[in-house]
Amino acid sequence: MGKGIEGLEQAYEILFTAILIFLAVLALLCLLRAVIGPKTADRIVAVNMLGTMVIVMIAVLTLMLQEDYLADICVIYAMISFLAVIVLTKVYMGVYLERKKIAEMSGETKSGEYTAGDEPGKCDGNDKAEK
Amino acid sequence: MEAIEWIKFLAGALLLLLGTTIFIFEMIGVFRFKYVLNRMHAAAMGDTLGIGACILGLIIMNGMNLTSLKLFVVIIFLWFSSPVSSHLIARLEVTTDEEQDKHYRRLILSQVEESCERNNCEEKNRKQESREQSNCEEKCRVQAAEKEEVK
Amino acid sequence: MSKKVPQEQYEKTISYKFRQWLNGSKDPYLDTVEMKPQVPFCETESERLQREEENQQLAKKVYDLEHNAEIRLFGKMYKVFSVIFCLFLVTMLLIGVSYLPTFGHPENPANNEVSERYIEKGLQETGAVNIVTGMILDYRAFDTLGESHVLFIATCTVLILLRLDKKELQKSNEANDRIYEPKNDVILQTAARILVPPIFIFGIYIILAGHLGPGGGFSGGAVIGAGLILYLNAFGFEKTEKFFTAKTYRRLSFGALACYSLAKSYSFYTGANHIESIIPLGTPGAILSSGLILLLNICVGIVVAGTMYTFYVMFRKGGY
Repeated sequence: MGKGIEGLEQAYEILFTAILIFLAVLALLCLLRAVIGPKTADRIVAVNMLGTMVIVMIAVLTLMLQEDYLADICVIYAMISFLAVIVLTKVYMGVYLERKKIAEMSGETKSGEYTAGDEPGKCDGNDKAEK
Repeated sequence: MEAIEWIKFLAGALLLLLGTTIFIFEMIGVFRFKYVLNRMHAAAMGDTLGIGACILGLIIMNGMNLTSLKLFVVIIFLWFSSPVSSHLIARLEVTTDEEQDKHYRRLILSQVEESCERNNCEEKNRKQESREQSNCEEKCRVQAAEKEEVK
Repeated sequence: MSKKVPQEQYEKTISYKFRQWLNGSKDPYLDTVEMKPQVPFCETESERLQREEENQQLAKKVYDLEHNAEIRLFGKMYKVFSVIFCLFLVTMLLIGVSYLPTFGHPENPANNEVSERYIEKGLQETGAVNIVTGMILDYRAFDTLGESHVLFIATCTVLILLRLDKKELQKSNEANDRIYEPKNDVILQTAARILVPPIFIFGIYIILAGHLGPGGGFSGGAVIGAGLILYLNAFGFEKTEKFFTAKTYRRLSFGALACYSLAKSYSFYTGANHIESIIPLGTPGAILSSGLILLLNICVGIVVAGTMYTFYVMFRKGGY
């Protein structure tokens, strides 16, 4: 960038380097939020933010190094981080609701009956056959 | 020609610095808010606007290029996908919250109407009666006036 | 027409035993080594209670921290020593790494005449502007053939281990852990309807521009796989089955891999000698250039996309 005008080239370099360092510090703070956050949603939000800052960093790099293919990487990274959020939320919601249901069911049947996975009929028949 | 280059640099640098300021505000928000959904809101707003400003600045610095078009596609994709991400995260938070009564107030319409009726019963009845009376008086006067006219 | 033999006589013949062995219903150890016929495992109520009681008593004794000073001391020392051990490992590895030659030194073993030949004559001999693609799909296309086969074998393994038949799929609907997941989210469906076509187009662009810039079959296939996963998450299994079933995957992956093998498996017979291809290398920088590289990119891309989607589906449901 700058095309030969001396002051401009230096200005571009200083600007890009400063922005890169800045964004790197912010990304480290995102990691802090991911470690601290008491809930799951905190962590997913932190990972999303980290991805966004990395996208901006790669976009700045395309201009700094004058390589055109890094812009493709930005698009791919945006897609993949979006997909990650979708799958994580879906799976975690399913796991949580399933555990809640199992806790409810086992809380109701505390008198010694079977919980959801056993089949009461089969066992008696087999006991008789063995004896 | 030099002037145009400098103008491009200044405009792009301004937008880029604006974008990083927005990111700083977003980080402050994410660390200072006390509840998960507030933090998620700060993150979503900051992300969308910050990336828009930063990449617009980079596009201005680059001029009209194929690379600029690809960066613009990044903006469009992120502006479509970021709200959907925050919607899904909010949904996750609401279903997996253990202390729901502490965080939210649930309003069910039929209950609201019942409580309203119980609280404002007497006043409402009085007001309604007075309104009905006044309406009735007016109607009677009008009818009497009509009857008189007819007669 | 052969005579029909009564069932008892048929059960003594070799062909019946062979058929049983094929089906898997003949237990090879039953008559030879003395073993009782297998009975499905089940526990009576009393046995279950007894087992849980024993486990609880054992746990109480093992994790009894108040009467056992040794365990407490061990717990504290463990943390300290684990940190020390990690630091020790890190320093040893860093010392080992510092003995490596400097990056870019002209006398490195990696900078020999092979890389010089690839860099100097790459464009001329392969016609690909992207030297890396020219290398993996023209000079060393045989290795990439092995890689594609490895992807195929990995998918076969996952299918063998995790796939459920239709009957088992219906049975496992009770133990299905996907019942409680949110389905048919309107916002997500609207966004997916708008976003999935551009993702596919972008993936195809990356595959086709493999010899002109970074990209190629592997990364483009991964992007297309990601697009399929997004569609599946938004719309559910039934709608995705309308255009991507097990048959589709079978035909696509077999067709692509067979295509690649036909093109480049002559190396089994000729060794390191290259066969001159009939296809002329066009002008470098155009899409239709560099011989077979475009076709091979497409084949690899199809295999990778199918692999990614199959892994996801097998781990989630066990069927397409």
